[in-house]
Amino acid sequence: MNSDELRFDSENQAVEAFIERGWTDGLPIIPPSLERVNSFLEYSGRDSEEPLGREPVKGRTVTVGKVAINSVMAGCLPQYFPVVLSAIEAALEPEFNLHGITASTMGAGILAVVNGPIAESVGINGSTSVFGPGHRANATIGRAIRLCIINATGSKSGEIDKATLGHAGKYTWCITENIEASPWSTLGEDRGFNKKSNVVTVFSGLSPTQVSNHSTQEPESILRSFKDALFAAGPSQGEIVITLCPEHTKHLSQAGWGKMQIRDYMYQMAVRTDDEWGSGSIPPGGTLKGLKLTHSAEAPDSYTIIVAGGFAGAFSSVIPLWGGGSNSQSVTKPILETTA
Amino acid sequence: MANSGQVYVLDPRVLPDIPDSMLAERPESLDGSTVGLLANGKRNSEELLEQVYEVLSESFKLKRAVPDNKGNASRPCPPNLLAELSEVCDVVITASGD
Repeated sequence: MNSDELRFDSENQAVEAFIERGWTDGLPIIPPSLERVNSFLEYSGRDSEEPLGREPVKGRTVTVGKVAINSVMAGCLPQYFPVVLSAIEAALEPEFNLHGITASTMGAGILAVVNGPIAESVGINGSTSVFGPGHRANATIGRAIRLCIINATGSKSGEIDKATLGHAGKYTWCITENIEASPWSTLGEDRGFNKKSNVVTVFSGLSPTQVSNHSTQEPESILRSFKDALFAAGPSQGEIVITLCPEHTKHLSQAGWGKMQIRDYMYQMAVRTDDEWGSGSIPPGGTLKGLKLTHSAEAPDSYTIIVAGGFAGAFSSVIPLWGGGSNSQSVTKPILETTA
Repeated sequence: MANSGQVYVLDPRVLPDIPDSMLAERPESLDGSTVGLLANGKRNSEELLEQVYEVLSESFKLKRAVPDNKGNASRPCPPNLLAELSEVCDVVITASGD
């Protein structure tokens, strides 16, 4: 294991030292003893020195072993570790632009969406309180990703990480879809994988805007509720995530609507003149003026639809992505089988 | 594990394989220099660089400016643009305007 061993008089002292040195998210961690870290490595069957990728701006090559250390610290169980590994591998792909999203004032978090049987087998929640607390797999996988960003790629708050606001998803943000509630293809299938494939997709998510509509079952009326939230994200988004709750999903699917029809309608509906964009938001790169119509997204396919959340309540959400959804592209990676 | 005795834990950090920051070597004088002005696509970045060039012109006999714009502040500068600038410029100044 190519990591320095640090000696402390007690576990409490180790925890306090890690917090003081800025090696945590501000919360206490599980001390990463060699024994604990080795149990993760043994579970994955992977070599600790195997590189997962390199963050070129800060010049850091992230290895399986370093991700194991940070996963232990986050409170993961060994069976979560393959998910964290693939999420980090995905985040290190050049098109994700990890340095940009972790340094920028825009304050993106990393939303990890897990699809495939592993989501259920390790207990990742996609239902009630999907973005909230109470589920160890969600809480610690997302936290492990954040601790890797802090320690393995060097993005500490106030140093490299210059987020103006940030948001709570920067502590932890890992979910699965509510496949029981969804009549449609999963995100993993939309990305070309088999429904039984274990995959994780990472998004550079800004804070979600909740969209409420309990007063209609009509598809067009439901989708028009998203308009202001889409406008708040800015014009011509390259990619933007729509979290549809089960109740909205049920109304849409019972009316015969699929993801393609929803995306097409959303694209046609969320449009306004450049004068309206210019007076209602600050578009990147300058001020829009005139009567030309500009859509909220570049194309219907720019809307990535996932189904998640509890069965009760008509609350969906819009999650804009960093840099207009084009400067950081979401990345999907398979989660490797373990030899354990 | 008990909170007594010695506890060994592993360092979670990955250390950089490049220096944290690299400043280009500073020339003793800019007299006779071709100065690249590389804007990053943010609003006002070109204007800021033009003014920097004007200020430098008051102190040095600059040969000429080579303005360019990498077009996207969120992405690294395209390697071919860097290569072109390093071919014709003695120094390059870049800026982040907003």
